[in-house]
Amino acid sequence: MVHIENLVKRYGDLLALDHLNLDIKEGEIFGLLGPNGSGKTTALNCLLALLRYDKGRITVFGKDMTPDSYELKQGIGVIPQNVAVFDQMSVYENIDYFCGLYVSDKKKRRALVEEALKFVELGDYQKMRPKKLSGGLLRRLNIACGIVHKPKLIIMDEPTVAVDPQSRNNILEGIKRLNENGSTIIYTSHYMEEVEQICTRIAIIDKGQVLATGSTEELKAMIKTGETIRIENLVLTEEHLADMRELPHVYRLDYQEQTLVVRLSSAKHNLVRFLNYLQAKDIPFGRVLSELPTLNDVFLEITGKELRD
Amino acid sequence: MIQLFKYRLLQNVRDVSMMFWALAFPLLLGTFYSLAFGNMGNNAAGDGTWSEIPVGIVNVSENQPFEAFLDGLDGDLIKGKVYDDEGAAKKALNNQKIKGYFVIDNNLALKLSGNGLEESILANLLNTYEKNASLAMKVATEKPQQLETFLESLGDYQSFTKNASLGGRTLDPMINYFFALLAYACLCGAFLGTRSTFDSQANLSALGARRCISPTHKLKLIFIDLTTLVLIQFVNMLILTAYLILFLKIDLGDNIPLLLFIELMGTILSISIGIAIGSIARLSQGIKIGITVAVSLFPAFLAGLMFGDIRNIIEVHAPLVNRLNPAAVLADAFYCLGVYNDQTRLTRNLIILGVMAALLLTVAFLSIRREDYDSI
Repeated sequence: MVHIENLVKRYGDLLALDHLNLDIKEGEIFGLLGPNGSGKTTALNCLLALLRYDKGRITVFGKDMTPDSYELKQGIGVIPQNVAVFDQMSVYENIDYFCGLYVSDKKKRRALVEEALKFVELGDYQKMRPKKLSGGLLRRLNIACGIVHKPKLIIMDEPTVAVDPQSRNNILEGIKRLNENGSTIIYTSHYMEEVEQICTRIAIIDKGQVLATGSTEELKAMIKTGETIRIENLVLTEEHLADMRELPHVYRLDYQEQTLVVRLSSAKHNLVRFLNYLQAKDIPFGRVLSELPTLNDVFLEITGKELRD
Repeated sequence: MIQLFKYRLLQNVRDVSMMFWALAFPLLLGTFYSLAFGNMGNNAAGDGTWSEIPVGIVNVSENQPFEAFLDGLDGDLIKGKVYDDEGAAKKALNNQKIKGYFVIDNNLALKLSGNGLEESILANLLNTYEKNASLAMKVATEKPQQLETFLESLGDYQSFTKNASLGGRTLDPMINYFFALLAYACLCGAFLGTRSTFDSQANLSALGARRCISPTHKLKLIFIDLTTLVLIQFVNMLILTAYLILFLKIDLGDNIPLLLFIELMGTILSISIGIAIGSIARLSQGIKIGITVAVSLFPAFLAGLMFGDIRNIIEVHAPLVNRLNPAAVLADAFYCLGVYNDQTRLTRNLIILGVMAALLLTVAFLSIRREDYDSI
């Protein structure tokens, strides 16, 4: 459905997109995961033909995407990172206005607006101005304006930024429903939990390059980390740390502020071995956590830095 | 298209801060001008509702020429009342029933209650009479054959106290402030133009980006925006003009259709200026609004919004500034239409306005028509 090939975008000396390649299939919720400034939004703006790029090719629905591809734009809906609505118009008027940019038939438009209002559960607020809405409701209005014309392809650029947990869950559930209703979704975020929760396929992006692509499971399978053990409130010496590094399957060990974080390759009884060692050395300790690998581990292992850095 | 037009209209009209600058502020300024010097101007020109100056006359001894002089002015410039003695006149003066009183004795005397405009007129009348009387005496003794002609010329005294412009229009010297105000109000459309670009350019706001990625043709969006803005600002001008003429009773001349046409040209000009300012990508929205304030207010200042004579001073020392300053061109066009009745000058102003409007509209169009950007 969307094909991006060797996309290069420079801002002066800064290389924002470095031969970026993406292939997004129909029916996917495709996640673009990367830290702030990694090139996610730039890639989307190029895809939407808003930004001129230096090199590469972009096709949408099998056709080249250009600024005057009005036919292609008809099938695309965008939910920008910043809420983009008119403060001077009510919830209903905003949705109707943006629907009017895609649909001219008044009767059809009215039905679509009603449907969108119902979808984002803003029916009770339809006469209110955006300034009267809470952050979560405002985000929902932002979504309604982008999906009201029932696009085949929906591009969501960090739609849950600065949203409370309850509203975030509502939004994520809504995205799943949109996908179930037949829309292909491109979803960018730097929240790995969100991406992990809803995306069927993910591209990890950093410094304008795609570092890895695959489902959550496929990405996790690419890395060595099978388990992360975290032990809090313990005092260790260099000797203890050296001993622990020698334990089986340990490949990375960090000890800071009386907290030990150990990354191990997938194996049985890793945690038991560590607890046995602490007991044998009579080292008291606090809370113990054992975690399966996350996308952050994937990002950390590929780039050497945390996703949230 | 009608739906898009309707919502763009609503959105702009409901923008309180922009509508304040584009409509409310000129209305307030007009009211302020009217309160400050609207009537003063009318009175000074003799075009407004003139009320005669109440004046007392105390006849101590006979002075037929002066009495005849006062009789000639009575009912026109003054309203004389004869008092039996100076005490009664003084009492009336203290009670503010009269502005002053003449004591007709061997020597003429004038007692005044203050030093306002009416008191100055009375003092001038006496002064003028005494000069003319002295001159008449001189003519009678030196050239008695010309005395009749001289006295006839004195009879025309009143003819130059009242005057009219070419075409019978107002001569109110304060009218220039209102013409400058109209010019300023036209330029205030720049606020609407600047503000509208924030919502239409992808590199200026998320809202602009959202509109740009829609399948509605960019030219159609530009057309809707321009039409909406021109309509709103022109209606603002209609409201201001009606307010000045009907409510504040300002005489803007007889040719209202042409006045409105000039306002329409000024509106197109100012909207275009605003769009051109708004499309400068590198500046923040606050700075752009600041520039718009400067671009509307400073030219209006040079056109006489705060100091009525400045346009004439510039005309003497740097006439090119008046040709290039849109507010000065607009104010001069209004002046030609309402006062001066100079078709050549009016035509020149209309041509300059037309060229400016076409040029700035082209610049505005070119700056907002692009559909993709180097950076967002």
